[in-house]
Amino acid sequence: MLRTSRLRLIRRAFLAAAAGAFIGLSAWTAMAQTAGGDLVFVQNSNPPSLDAMVTTSQASRNITMNMYETLFGFSEDIRPIPILAKSVDISPDGKTYRIPLREGVKFHNGKEMKAEDVKASLDRYKKVGGTQTMLAPVESIDVTGPYEVTLRLSEPTPTFMESFASPRAPAVIIPAEEAAKEPNKISFIGTGPYKFVEYVPDSHVKLERFKDYVPNEDYKDIDGFGGKKTAYLDTITFRVIPEAGAAVAALETGEVQVLEQIPVPTARRLASNPDIKTYENMPWAFLTFIMNMKAAPTDNVKFREAVALALNDEEVMAIATEGLFNLYHGWMYEGSTYDAGDIGKEFYNVHDAERAKALLKEAGYNGEPFSLLTDSNIPEHGKAAVVIAEQLKAVGINAVVNQVDWPTALKIRLQDSGWNGWTLAMGIEPYLGPAALISTLTGAAPHFRANDPELDALYKELITTDGVDGRKAVFAKIQKRLYEFFGIVKVGETGLMQAARANVQGFKPFRFPRLYNVWLEKK
Amino acid sequence: MIGFLARRLLSALPVLLVVSLVSFVIIAIVPGDVTAEIAGADSTEAQRAEIRERLGLDKPMVEQALRWYGRLLQGDLGQSYLLNRPVTEAVLERLPVTLSLAGLALVMAVALGVLLGILAAIRHGTWLDQGSMSLALFGLSIPDFWFGLILIVVFSVQLGWLPTGGYVPASESIVGWARSMTLPALALAITQMGVVARMTRASMLEVMGEDYIRTARAKGMRRHVVIFKHALRNALIPIVTVVGVMTGVLLGGAVVIESVFSLPGVGRLIIGAIQRRDYPIIQGGLLITAATFVFVNILVDLAYGWLDPRVRNDG
Repeated sequence: MLRTSRLRLIRRAFLAAAAGAFIGLSAWTAMAQTAGGDLVFVQNSNPPSLDAMVTTSQASRNITMNMYETLFGFSEDIRPIPILAKSVDISPDGKTYRIPLREGVKFHNGKEMKAEDVKASLDRYKKVGGTQTMLAPVESIDVTGPYEVTLRLSEPTPTFMESFASPRAPAVIIPAEEAAKEPNKISFIGTGPYKFVEYVPDSHVKLERFKDYVPNEDYKDIDGFGGKKTAYLDTITFRVIPEAGAAVAALETGEVQVLEQIPVPTARRLASNPDIKTYENMPWAFLTFIMNMKAAPTDNVKFREAVALALNDEEVMAIATEGLFNLYHGWMYEGSTYDAGDIGKEFYNVHDAERAKALLKEAGYNGEPFSLLTDSNIPEHGKAAVVIAEQLKAVGINAVVNQVDWPTALKIRLQDSGWNGWTLAMGIEPYLGPAALISTLTGAAPHFRANDPELDALYKELITTDGVDGRKAVFAKIQKRLYEFFGIVKVGETGLMQAARANVQGFKPFRFPRLYNVWLEKK
Repeated sequence: MIGFLARRLLSALPVLLVVSLVSFVIIAIVPGDVTAEIAGADSTEAQRAEIRERLGLDKPMVEQALRWYGRLLQGDLGQSYLLNRPVTEAVLERLPVTLSLAGLALVMAVALGVLLGILAAIRHGTWLDQGSMSLALFGLSIPDFWFGLILIVVFSVQLGWLPTGGYVPASESIVGWARSMTLPALALAITQMGVVARMTRASMLEVMGEDYIRTARAKGMRRHVVIFKHALRNALIPIVTVVGVMTGVLLGGAVVIESVFSLPGVGRLIIGAIQRRDYPIIQGGLLITAATFVFVNILVDLAYGWLDPRVRNDG
């Protein structure tokens, strides 16, 4: 009898321990992660590649910019600043860029970064880089010292440094032996504060602190993409959670520490939770409405003006962004270097149905269908399209929404017919400055299909004008022109609502999560 | 037995052929292609055309299909355009996640469903019957992704017992695997649990009215022996049929559940491939999933033989 009870007790104790191990592990894991300095960052999609220079994807940039570094990058106030370079010496004719490099910088494989690596990386970028046009003016890249490279340009390009510092598909520096490899076939070796550990697609990417990281002592703190970077965390795991509700639940339980984006209504609910802090990453993108200037009825400038005047931008933005938005007519962010002031303000957010109807009459519009192209992958696009369609119908435009998936939308918008309006959020372009933004509206394939010769000429003038003041004047003319031919309508500016556990310190919302200089407060 | 298996395997071939043909046709109809994804945002039409040529996407659809079938005969499902690895490797790596999810869901659905069904049948007309069937109806009616989110809120956020998502391979930790799989499998199982419970109840009620059950009772056999040995075994045959069909439903449902619980399974692989137009992955992923479904149904046919000697004799 005694034996049986003891056995029963042992069995019960064993079962209790097993159940405890089964259900209690979650709390234990969360504590261990916090104490161990492991931060989990959540994003909703896979990085298409970790070969930083070949992809323009935000999901990749979030991760790669913690692993790799470029020669130059943007500062907090969007000026090109040296990161792996020490400085730049531009010849008086504007065609030779002598770039001394920081010495003693180590790659994750232990090798020191030298001029040969820089040359090999930039040569590779010319072949496989995601935005190869950035290096198009560069005729040759020469090693002019163990720690110095010299770029020779075919013609003076005053905006070269701005485009070279672009993080869109960053011109990162990798070891020369890796640079010989094809796109996506490299080992992920950079010079950044965190180094690559593993990538399990649809699950996570794991990085660990690079112990031999050499910070840039020319700075006291981080500055934009550069500055003095310090890796505090032992490891960073970028988890891919597509379902927003599940991601928020993981943050609430403490399984993860930072969410790249949360729904705006959820942020309101979390406001009363002392364990969670929310961050407004604002402004993040322009929400635009592009019109096809080759297809009727949008081939008529009067018709396009009528569309612009019919829109109630505030209503579109409020619904599309669920409340996190900014209304501004300017084609550069308010208060930024190239902000062109009040030009065009009189055409923005006017929702004047009478003027719109008069213009439609003037344009000879007869109720032809207006095909409004949008996609289901980016929620702001689809929601904006529905509101815009209703507003256009209200002034008598026969708007029909054509919602497809993103690759299909990209295919259709490259056609001269089959669409009239297209909703597009421009994330990185407005941030990069006037040249990056306007380049999408000119050249061989402008967003609105037909070239506007005046805009093309102004773009040429913009990229060949030396000095910021000169370019500001040109950009003011560009903004005026955009409000004359109405190929594209700026609807408003969107933001990114982000959230982190309260013990995450040093997190400053930016174009990518700078997880260096972030630490976890010990309880 | 071997002859039966060979016949069933042979009859599976046309099914797989139709699956692959349908997926080829759908891919051909859907606009958009992978070249923009490979060539980058700033690519020119010339660059995209060059990639199209390199991948053979400029060839007529029939020629592309014949090439694909030619390679398939050599056991080669081709190379993913975007993952830089063979399709077979990419899909097989994900298969354990999806199979363990669907498998565990199947076990839960059958175990809970049969239990509820038996309870309802032996307590026919009582509150237990009504309660069990209400529960089954509830399971049948709720969308699995919503139920998944509710499970996360209750068991992860409120109680803190189980993780909100993510996958731990069984090779790494059995406890971790079980913890990561419990909620997703339960979410996936709930609808099928309802189906099984209702079928079991109906089937059991029918069998319980048979003469041999009355005879068994009359000769004084113990109640649980009558229920489990005589009634249940005979009532199981229609349920086993449902299991075959259910596998397909569970493999399909896994796509949604994998997204809710961020599990790196075949479903998410295929969805990602569709969104980026990685055709070889779509083709290969669908074919392997369909083959899994067909294989399970062959197992179901074999199970009939075990349960019902009449089928065995026919085979």
